[in-house]
Amino acid sequence: MRRITLIVRESDSPHLPIEAEVITPEILCRTARVTVHVGNQKMKLSDVFDVHVDGEAAGPGATEIVLLGDASRVKRIGEYMTDGKIIVDGDIGMHCGDFMAGGTIEIMGNAGDWLGREMLGGKIVCHGNAGHYCGSGYRGGRKGVRGGEIFVEGSVGDYCGECLFGGVVHVKRNAGLHAGVNMKGGKLIIDGDAVMPCGDMFGGECTIFGHADDFLPTFAETGKIVEMGRELTVFTGDLANRNGNGTLRVGRYTRI
Amino acid sequence: MPDYLLKNACVIDPVNSISQENMDIAVVDGHIAEEPSANVEIIDCGGMLVMPGGIDSHTHICGLKVNFGRYMSPEDMRAGRVPRGRGMRAVSGYSIPTTYGNSYRYALMGYTTLTEGAMAPLEARHTHDEFRHTPLQDGLILTLFDGDWGVMRAVAADDIKRAAALIAWRLNAVKGYGVKLTNPLGAEMWSWGKNVDCIRKSIPFFDVSPAEYILGVIEANEMLGLPHSVHLHCNNLGKPGNYTCTLGTMDLVPDLNEKRQTAYLTHVQFHSYGGSGWDDFSSKAEPVSRMVNLRPQITIDMGQVMFGRTTTMTADGPMEFNLYRLHQDKWSNHDVELETASGIIPVMYRRKNLVNSVMWAIGLELALLVKSPWQCLLTTDNPNGAPFVKYPEIIGLLMSREYREKEFATVHAATARRVVLPALERELTFDEIAVMTRAGPARALGLLERGKGHLGIGAEADIAVYPVVPGKLDPAKQYAEVIRGFAQTKYTFKGGVMISRDDEIVADNQNRMFWCSPKVPKVYDMDNDPELIRTFDRFYSVRKENYPVDEKYYLTRSMRIETETKL
Repeated sequence: MRRITLIVRESDSPHLPIEAEVITPEILCRTARVTVHVGNQKMKLSDVFDVHVDGEAAGPGATEIVLLGDASRVKRIGEYMTDGKIIVDGDIGMHCGDFMAGGTIEIMGNAGDWLGREMLGGKIVCHGNAGHYCGSGYRGGRKGVRGGEIFVEGSVGDYCGECLFGGVVHVKRNAGLHAGVNMKGGKLIIDGDAVMPCGDMFGGECTIFGHADDFLPTFAETGKIVEMGRELTVFTGDLANRNGNGTLRVGRYTRI
Repeated sequence: MPDYLLKNACVIDPVNSISQENMDIAVVDGHIAEEPSANVEIIDCGGMLVMPGGIDSHTHICGLKVNFGRYMSPEDMRAGRVPRGRGMRAVSGYSIPTTYGNSYRYALMGYTTLTEGAMAPLEARHTHDEFRHTPLQDGLILTLFDGDWGVMRAVAADDIKRAAALIAWRLNAVKGYGVKLTNPLGAEMWSWGKNVDCIRKSIPFFDVSPAEYILGVIEANEMLGLPHSVHLHCNNLGKPGNYTCTLGTMDLVPDLNEKRQTAYLTHVQFHSYGGSGWDDFSSKAEPVSRMVNLRPQITIDMGQVMFGRTTTMTADGPMEFNLYRLHQDKWSNHDVELETASGIIPVMYRRKNLVNSVMWAIGLELALLVKSPWQCLLTTDNPNGAPFVKYPEIIGLLMSREYREKEFATVHAATARRVVLPALERELTFDEIAVMTRAGPARALGLLERGKGHLGIGAEADIAVYPVVPGKLDPAKQYAEVIRGFAQTKYTFKGGVMISRDDEIVADNQNRMFWCSPKVPKVYDMDNDPELIRTFDRFYSVRKENYPVDEKYYLTRSMRIETETKL
């Protein structure tokens, strides 16, 4: 088991983003002598973080990365990771865990935008809030998250689960605008409220236990069910699409 | 700027009847010369293939439509990312790359002149601006006249001279090179949510049929003495059974010009479909190419489809709407006031799709069945059929039957019953490829007089040196080497300046813009024409005074071509 602890150093230019796609178990289990971009400058990992390495690694699966300090401007950690574990003790910046295919990322604080974008597998747990585009696709793409699991204990911003294609995105509190827009598969669960959910939906299953505001008129009611002790109204849509065949279940709703 | 002497070059120059001759080429002061100058850099080509710089006679690389394709498909910019290098800007994109991406990739393939296939006159500024940032190729812009109210009225009134005068005024105003008709009159009908049905039916309010309009504009074009003929995108693009309409259109074309064709039919692959629907969709390349073989006044280009992801964009608005209904994916549509329309859709051509497989075969059939390579030029209607970076693969397919058979084995199994491709034995030679990619387009576009498309004494030193030694390889068998060779030149020269060496771009700011300004007698000068002024005042969103593109601000190096008219 190898444990790599990275402590974010104090910086003279605290607004420059740190592009740290190298912070994945695959790379750091082999070597910590890697570079990151700070703004447009290439820097050594050890210049940006205090790096402590304990133990020997048998591979990415037996590697744990711990990020301490203010990592809210550290971007793209866990990109393309396939195995192992990353623990973030505070907040984390944008694009955490994009394209991730396996392993676990646990975030104790808040996550930035694009958490788990275009994820393929694995698990992300965020104990705080997540930003916009949590578990979504990217600009212009047609398939977003294709597998894996994202669990957010707090609230999320707008466009959560946009273009969701597979896997599960579970938000314990509220979602912003357009959750599940353009969904094509997978499961999106929001325990709290949402605004104008699931426009342009093609497939998949979205459940909103709370209140859906600005509910779109292009969904047809098909019945009522009881789940987790809550009565939910079931809709199918989005009927504005020729092949709109998604399932949307909401607790309460007000139409737009 | 050093002069060059290319020694030991295996030259193909169809215009001067030079076929794989081993010779030296001297470049002096940007032009081909008899003798090298004193200050000369000698390059030993070691028997490599040397041709005039490539000319793309129909591509979409600049303009609002292309740029809207970029807005619509940000995912396209994930491909083809190359970081900034020595003297090179960072580029990205695959089917609709950045302008520098287009320019660098064309340069690496040996292309030095590009023809933007369709510019809405009202969007001329944008198009010229993008061309300014396409640094390594000379540009020509074909201007859309498919729904021009003034020209339509003039043709309807049988006043061809007035039509010609209006065309001359507009070309002069927007700095266009030639006349493009996209789905003639279709844009006007599209404003009513409809389309034209082939060429014979008159459209309401203007009382003119596409056939009359095409003929009228062809006559007007010849009257103006423009270097290029009418550039025609026929009606009914992409509809099964549209080949009858294509044949009917070809039948209209008179023979009015000795030097070049009288009509240039573009991306004919999309117009050579048989069947009554998608179920019995088939290739009609045979009758179409037979028609071309019988009519020397017609030149076509292939519009080859290659498998993979790309973006379709055309001024044919209704056709793109039909495509949208088929794909149910992204779609954009644009109406350009009194002039034209456009539509854009990203598509994926798949081998497993029968229709796509048949389309792929039709383009190749056209190139193989048209006897004279001067009459069928190599294009993909970039990016509609495929991005232009696929040209080398197309050359490989045309030069090797073995490669065609190998590829044919991977397409949809039912394709064989709907196409004639497997029966075609013809394998094109290097000379024929040279005609299809440089000499032919130069003649079709009227650029031979400008010293383009050939390597005779005094010609512009646009030269491509391909790392292929023709005598030492059999393209029918070693097609992989041919494809590699055409994908990247050893050296590309434009106007005597080396613009690329291996995979490196070594020059900047070499582009010029060719445009035509017909000399019109005072009576036909439309600048003070009351009806044109009224049209602008009543219907246009811009004033007539603000409409013309300023040569000084929008054209970096302006190459004005004055033509003698018969008005």
